[in-house]
Amino acid sequence: MLHDPPEMRLERTTPPLVVATDLTRRWGKGPTAQLGVDRVDLEIGRGELIAVVGPSGSGKSTLGALLAGIDRPTAGSLVVDGVRIDRLSDDRLARWRGGNVGIVFQNFHLLPTLDARENVELAVKLADGSASRRDRRARSLDALRTVGLDAKAKRLPTQLSGGEQQRVAVARALVTRPRLIVADEPTGSLDQESGSAVFELLIGLVATGTTVMVITHDEHLARRAGRVVSMLDGRIVSSGAQ
Amino acid sequence: MRQMFREFRRAPARIITSVLALALALGAMGVFAIPAVASSSLRDSAGADRMANIVFDTTDSGAIDMASVVESVPGVDDALAEAMVGVGTGSPDATLLPLVGRDLADTRVDVISATSGRLPISDGEVLVTDGVADVGDVIIATAPDGHQTNLIVVGIGGTTFWAGESVAFSTLRTATDIAGIDGANHVVVRATDTSGDSLRTTADAVRERLAADGVTLTDLPITVPDGTHPIESEITQVSTLIGFLGIVAGLVALVLLGSTTNTLISERTREAAVMRALGARNRPLRRRLRRLAVTIAAVAVVIGLPLGVLISNVIARMVMQEFLDITPGIAVSVPVLVVSAVFAIAGAALVASGAARRVTKIPLATALRDRDGSPFGRRRAERFVAGTRLGGLLDRAALRNAVHRRSRSVAIVAQVTAAVAALLIIASLATTVNAFNASEFEPWSWNSRTTASGNGLDIGGDTIAPVVTADPTAEPAIETIGEFDSWEIDLVGLKPDTAMIDRRVDSGAWLTDGRNVVVSTGFAEHVGIAVGDDIDVRIATGTVTYHVVGFHRLQGRTLFLDIDTLATDLGRPGAANVVYSAADRTPTGLHGLTTTTYLDDFSSDDSGRAAILLIFGVIGLVVVTVAGLAVASGLAVNVYERRHEFAAIRAIGGRSRQVMHVVSAELLPLAAIGVLAGVAAGYFGGLAIMQSFERADAVDIGFVFAGRAIPAVTATVVLGCLLIGGLTVRRMSRQSVATTLRSAS
Repeated sequence: MLHDPPEMRLERTTPPLVVATDLTRRWGKGPTAQLGVDRVDLEIGRGELIAVVGPSGSGKSTLGALLAGIDRPTAGSLVVDGVRIDRLSDDRLARWRGGNVGIVFQNFHLLPTLDARENVELAVKLADGSASRRDRRARSLDALRTVGLDAKAKRLPTQLSGGEQQRVAVARALVTRPRLIVADEPTGSLDQESGSAVFELLIGLVATGTTVMVITHDEHLARRAGRVVSMLDGRIVSSGAQ
Repeated sequence: MRQMFREFRRAPARIITSVLALALALGAMGVFAIPAVASSSLRDSAGADRMANIVFDTTDSGAIDMASVVESVPGVDDALAEAMVGVGTGSPDATLLPLVGRDLADTRVDVISATSGRLPISDGEVLVTDGVADVGDVIIATAPDGHQTNLIVVGIGGTTFWAGESVAFSTLRTATDIAGIDGANHVVVRATDTSGDSLRTTADAVRERLAADGVTLTDLPITVPDGTHPIESEITQVSTLIGFLGIVAGLVALVLLGSTTNTLISERTREAAVMRALGARNRPLRRRLRRLAVTIAAVAVVIGLPLGVLISNVIARMVMQEFLDITPGIAVSVPVLVVSAVFAIAGAALVASGAARRVTKIPLATALRDRDGSPFGRRRAERFVAGTRLGGLLDRAALRNAVHRRSRSVAIVAQVTAAVAALLIIASLATTVNAFNASEFEPWSWNSRTTASGNGLDIGGDTIAPVVTADPTAEPAIETIGEFDSWEIDLVGLKPDTAMIDRRVDSGAWLTDGRNVVVSTGFAEHVGIAVGDDIDVRIATGTVTYHVVGFHRLQGRTLFLDIDTLATDLGRPGAANVVYSAADRTPTGLHGLTTTTYLDDFSSDDSGRAAILLIFGVIGLVVVTVAGLAVASGLAVNVYERRHEFAAIRAIGGRSRQVMHVVSAELLPLAAIGVLAGVAAGYFGGLAIMQSFERADAVDIGFVFAGRAIPAVTATVVLGCLLIGGLTVRRMSRQSVATTLRSAS
């Protein structure tokens, strides 16, 4: 089922949120160097839902990591919302991530010693140090409510199912109201029902103007994105609207 | 071994740190070998030099052949008569140089050998111990009567009995001429039965035999039982102290071994689970895990044992050179090596067995799902801290992690405790020795102390009178050695109305004349002497009885009594062997004697103290390095294990300082607990060491805790922890967040 809200099409006419030019990421040097992303040019509009697909090792997760600012390109430039993030220092990049990007991982990466609400609240604290404790709590509970987990706010990650943990991760990603959300295989560890629920959440975020990039193997889910980018051997082999 | 190499490639820095820390801890345990190393070196030299078992100081033997007389006593194997005299060497403040005259070619007792030059063969030639003079030098020796003789140094060397002392050896005639005696006044004996009791019986028999010929002993005979060395008991005391620090090193090694082994096994929970899922049985799996831990311990043993031999020999050499001027060869204590190796390997196997059992008992589904096999929130304590809402989010995460990884936390606390305790024990030793020295001198009022040069009471009544006339503050006194209840004691004969010591007593009364004595309080308490008791004291001339009338605060094992009584008991009424004076110069009329001032004595103690503290400082440094490495290793493993968690914090906007905040929020409370426990352990450890010395020496040393060192120690620990934490976090931050997180998948 194709889901393509009307506002997404409107956003495409405004300046793109992400502009990647000649983006390259390789590990090592010489003939043994491994190429993750190879001279990729990509623009992503504001409020766009983009799916990145491709076989394992095609470079889609690396591309996602670069766009989320958790990895650095070895060549090329990357501008997100007017900021050349590949030139930021580690700490500035971290600060930028906190305020501009939400990341959802396949393995959730929740802090095991914090409960659901605290995990979400931590993202607010790191993104907005001036927010009061009361404000942080209110925002994190709101975010948990959005993903339907406000009743389990005091549960530790180990006391939640995989789907619930991923919903907490989504709440953590959206609580800072980022311009860009990068979700790397967000449904990869979940059953079909939980996966659909999480994907619906992400689609819902697009409706609020957030740009969402979903990296997935799931063709069915990818078809629900506004645009699908296919990768192979670190390069984009096709990019087209659904 | 292949498994070890794979492990090494996986985390080289961590493995190297663990192996090095464990090796150094094992090496530090080598300090246990120091007593054995020192004793065996001393005993080897004593055996090679046919060291005397009994040594007598006597009055001039005159015409009698003292060696033959003594050899006729049952129990005496060989005897050699010597002439001994203390000579001035030119400098007014220099201590007297003992000159020993004897048949230098006689190798039956106390073999004299030259390490450079040759033995004296003519009169006027001397061989001196190392540091006294060089071959070819001329020593102008001042005899007790003021007469001066030129002595040519022809060799450097000596014999074990005099190790560590400044001594000159000459022909018998050279010494008798300078001493102004006709025969000999010193006899060294090798006995047939060298047990302590037998030597004492033989010594009494020799005393009686010599008395029959009119020769009396001027000092308590020195007995050296069973091939030991006279200074061995002192070395053993130093070694005991070293042993205490060795125990600290051993505890650090134990904690380190436990935490390293536990980590190695625990982080393989998932790997083990995969193997179990594929059909591996628990027993071979546990064996495999155990083998890995044992291999690492074995590598540490291979590095640590030679390191232990090196450390023990370096410290033993420092001790021997400082106290005895002996440079021992390399000695190895096989028992300590074997125990250290068994400790490491058996300990690793034991800890690994427990850890492996835990790992293989975790339900398979849980172990496959959870990276560390023990998710947070399972234990009651974890649920409790999860419910607390103290501090900020990062502080909570830190606290909960400390509770979650409790064995790691306990290890860090234990290691900080050991380091702090070691530092404070060393510092407290310094303050205690300082305070002891100060209190040792505090009751005395003399500014100079001039000692007699020969054996016995060499300052006769006729000499004393003009000295006191010239210097009204001068007072004759007697300092000699006695024995009570097997304890060697200092007997000090003073005028009852002496002005040289504070006469206030802790209990009872100060001495009057007669056979009344005042005993130092600490010693009296340790041996159970009460005011009013009559005590039997063994002195050079036999056993005498005194009546205890009071206790004095002077530390040590000291007995004060009337100078006239003591002089009479020693067989020379009216004589003395020391002159105290309020002036800081040699009283006129005392030729060839040596004066030491209060400051001389104090600084001499000071340099000895500095040497002891240097040795303990080195050992303390080893212990602190081991503990520091252990903390670094533990912390590195802690951060390494949590790298995904820290990467997740960085991914959602956390900066380096916030990651550091989590690390320090976890580490600093643990360090604080470690500091508190270390302060307590340092206090009680230092107290226990001093009490053991007090018991061993029957003296009141008094323990002065180095409380002022606590801020510096705390600052060092805090800064050290922050530095280690900072370096570890920085190292971890070099890897991109994406790469770190990917490795978790």
